[in-house]
This record gives sequence, C-alpha cells and structure tokens, in this order.
Amino acid sequence: MRNFIISGVIFLFLTACAGTGTDEKYRDANMDFGAIQNIAVLPLANLTRDQQAGERVRDVFVTALLATGGVYVIPTGEVAKGISLTGMTNPTAPSKEEILKFAALVKADAVITGVLREYGEVRSGSSTANVISLSTQMIETQTGRVVWSASVTKGGVTFKDRLLGGGGDPLNYVTEKAVDDLINKLFM
Amino acid sequence: MILSINYSCKISCIVFLAGLVFLSGCVQTGKTAAFRVSPGKELRVAVLPLDNLSGKTAPLKEIKQSLIDRITLQGVEVLSEKATERFMARYRMRYVGGIDADTAQAFKEEEKVDAVLITSLELYQEGGPPRIGLISRLVSTGSKPVILWMDSIGLTGYDSPGILGLGLIEDSVSLRDKALSLLASSLGEALAGKGKGPNVKGPSTYRPKVFYQAPFIEADKTYTMAALPFFNRSEKRNAGEIVLLHIINALVHQGNFAVLEPGIIRQKFLNIRLIMNEGISLSDADFVANSLNAELILSGKVTDYQDVLLEGGVPKVGFSVSVIEKMSKKIIWASESYNLGNEDVIFFDVGRLNTANTLTSEMARAVAGRMSRRGYQ
Repeated sequence: MRNFIISGVIFLFLTACAGTGTDEKYRDANMDFGAIQNIAVLPLANLTRDQQAGERVRDVFVTALLATGGVYVIPTGEVAKGISLTGMTNPTAPSKEEILKFAALVKADAVITGVLREYGEVRSGSSTANVISLSTQMIETQTGRVVWSASVTKGGVTFKDRLLGGGGDPLNYVTEKAVDDLINKLFM
Repeated sequence: MILSINYSCKISCIVFLAGLVFLSGCVQTGKTAAFRVSPGKELRVAVLPLDNLSGKTAPLKEIKQSLIDRITLQGVEVLSEKATERFMARYRMRYVGGIDADTAQAFKEEEKVDAVLITSLELYQEGGPPRIGLISRLVSTGSKPVILWMDSIGLTGYDSPGILGLGLIEDSVSLRDKALSLLASSLGEALAGKGKGPNVKGPSTYRPKVFYQAPFIEADKTYTMAALPFFNRSEKRNAGEIVLLHIINALVHQGNFAVLEPGIIRQKFLNIRLIMNEGISLSDADFVANSLNAELILSGKVTDYQDVLLEGGVPKVGFSVSVIEKMSKKIIWASESYNLGNEDVIFFDVGRLNTANTLTSEMARAVAGRMSRRGYQ
C-alpha cells in the first residue's frame, strides 16, 4: 500500500513537470468580429535565436487563417509594400497612427501583430523536444483598439519524452498545432 | 459431347478476353497524353549546357553528351555543339536555366531549331553511394516559347538494394546512365504522344499540411500561369529554383495550366528591375500578369531543403505556395508543405524517398493535383 502511494506521488510529481500548453486570451465583448473581412498580418517580433523563425511562423499563420475561410488575409508582399510606403519605423510594434495609415493603404479591417518568444529545441536533463511560444494581438483599424489578444505555447519535454525519449514532435507539426490553437481562440 | 463442351468453353473464353481487352481500352488511366509534341514529326533540338544547381562540381559536359546520345536514339535531331556555342556567343547568352522570347525567336530563325532542351542538375554525388537528380524540359522556339515536355528524375545507388545488396549501384557512371536513359525515354514517350497524364492519385502523406483554395479554378478550363522565382530561406543554395522547377513540372502535367517558361519571367523581371523582398505586391502582380498575359501569378518560399548525403540519410523539404488571380487581385491558393523522406514508410523502408528530388517531386505533385481540381485523391 505504501509503495503504491509513493508511486502515485512520483507519478503526480513527474506529470506536473511535463510540458503543457498555456491558455491565455482576451476578446473584446463589444466587438463585432463578423465585420472583419480583410486582415493584414504584420511581421512577428522574433525573440528567438533562429533568424528565419518569425517568417516561418507568420507564413503558417497566414495560410491557416486563410484556410478557415472566415477572413481574407492580405498577401505578404502587399503588406511589405504598405509598411514601406507608410514608413513604419518598427513594423513588429507599430503605433496607433501608423496602423491607421497602413490599414487605409492596404484596405485592411484589422491588423495582427505578434511576438515569437520561443521556437526550436529545448533540453531538460537528457531529454530534448521542440517548443513554440507565440503571442498575437488583433488591432481594429477604425479605432486602433486591441480587440483580441492570445498567446499559446506548444510542445516541450513531456512525461513521455522523459520516459521513452524520441525528441518530441517535429517543429513544423508543433507550429501547426500552436497556430491552430491561436485561430481557435480567435473564432471561439 | 466432351469435345463440344471444350469447344464452347474456348469460344466463350475468346469472346470474354476480347471483351475484356475492348473494355480495358475504354478505361481512363493516369497515363493519358495530356500534352504532345506533334507525334510523328522529327524535331530539331538545341541542347543547352547543363544548369548546375547542385552547388557541387560535376562532369557537366559528359552528362550533356550522354543525354544528347540518348535523345538522338529517340529520333530527335540535335543541333551540333559548335553551332549551339556559336549562337550562345553571338547572343551573349550566359544564363542556361531558361530561355526568353527573343532568344527563342532567334533560335528558330537562325538555327532552324524547333525546340530547346534545358536541363538542370539538382544533385550530384559520385562517392558512397552515388546520387543524381535532374530536371529537364523541352521549350518550343519562336516568339511565344511554350513548355512542351518536362520531367525530373532522382536516383541513388541504394534505391533498390535487393537480396544481399545485389541491386546496389556503386558506380556513379552507371547510375548517371540509368537516370539519363529514363529521362530520354520519358521524352521519347512524349514525342510518341504517350506523355504522363494529369496526376489524379498520390499518397496522402505528401499533401499540403495546411491549404486554402478559393472556388475559382475549374477542372475543365485552362489557365495561363506565371510562376515567379521562389524565395529561398533554406540553407541549400539554389533551393528556390529547384522547388520552382518541380512545381512547374507538376503543374504542366496537370494539363489545365499553361505555365510560362521561367526564362521569360526572369527576363521580364530584369527588364523592369523588379526586386521582391517579401513577396509580390498587388501592383507588381498586376503589371507582371498584364505584360505576360497571365491569369494567375504563382509565388512561393522554400523553408527547408536538405539532402543528407550519407547512406540512410533522410531528406527534408518544406515550402509554401500562393497563387494570386489577376482580375480579383486576390489569393486563390495558399499552402504549406513539409515532409521527411521516411514519412510514408510502414515497414522495411518500403515507400522511403532517398533524395530531396523525389520528395519535392511528390510534394509538388500533391500541390498541383489539389490546385487543378482534377479529381486528385
């Protein structure tokens, strides 16, 4: 009986250490999200060591957002042109005035900005796994208010990884899951 | 009585077999000739020097000569090497990865050539084990060059090891000859009007992981498409050009996309000094579409392209594709694809793809199959 209790405690302790996804979101209750038709996704602020990570995640996010069929996403080339024409000093964190000017130029109803906090392999003891941590916010372009904000963390070293090894899920798969999660938070 | 039963059985069998042959002739297969090069007519072709995209030194002259020998056997008349070199020197033609409209017209008028064979070397390794990857296309000459035939081949020495490794190919020349023979026979089949048909079936593993498709493309219509150079964010040099060629190859085989020769688009970009930093803007897309008479503009980005050059190494490829429609100026297709070469393996390495060439080819086929809406499963 005593052994059983000790095993149970160890199990609970280990599962508490397992990588989990966080669930944080804000959704403006007064906002009519159905009115948003065209969205521009600005480049993500990349706080990771991988220089291409922001662009990779943004690409997946744009395609996944389009794939929902609920909104139209302005092509990244057009967004880049808009950034250049409005002379945005920092496209990853634009000011309210810059957003309003930019949105009028590219005809966007909302602008999404974001921060990629983690992307790549993490190590815990002898185990490794891929992790992604991303937060995004949607700014409505009529008023410049933040109407939706969410963050997500996926992957990381899980109990299974510690026990069996294997290196976790591929990074592309983890990214896809994280982006799906974010989009679910936008629509639900 | 016994004899009469045997006799009636034979008659029944013959009738049944004849019916079966007749009916199987009516069955629609994936090998229908979707595009042809005027069957029966002997072509006069100029073979351009190989465009080396492998990033390594390779015996380009030997490969080219070996390819010429093989396509000559397919009944193609090849413009002499000296005449080709003289023409290239006269027109200061340095880029051999494509052909623009002016050069194609000059080839037709001055050298009386019907088509130009453009071949890119994607992968080349001589030692342990040998590997080769080639993409080749036949482009018509004249004022409006058209891609008449296109195919790619990727082989390694350990593709079919067989029992006790008897099927291993350790000699790079043998592997090279095998690849070139397959490429030449594919061209021969196209010349005979038996080209590969639209891609209607493929393993689900290589389908795009995320994709969006607007209800625009109809399976029974043909669309003129300009495929713009891909951005290369991978570590492999020339990966953008390689993946673009695979996508064009897959789209050409679908039959409902008239893809413009990449050399024409390259020349247009140079003429208008168009530089893309992060994708094409709508105004540039509109300009390119109008000046090239294209209905669709395809662009993309390569995120991963890895060929592990060791035995047992697994290739890894990732790319995104988007298509903008000229009239609405909207995205009608966007997709994200990424795969490893061993994802379709169930047991004993069956279904494993050993080169990034074959992996990219499968992934591109899946993208084109979905995009064309031609019953891809």
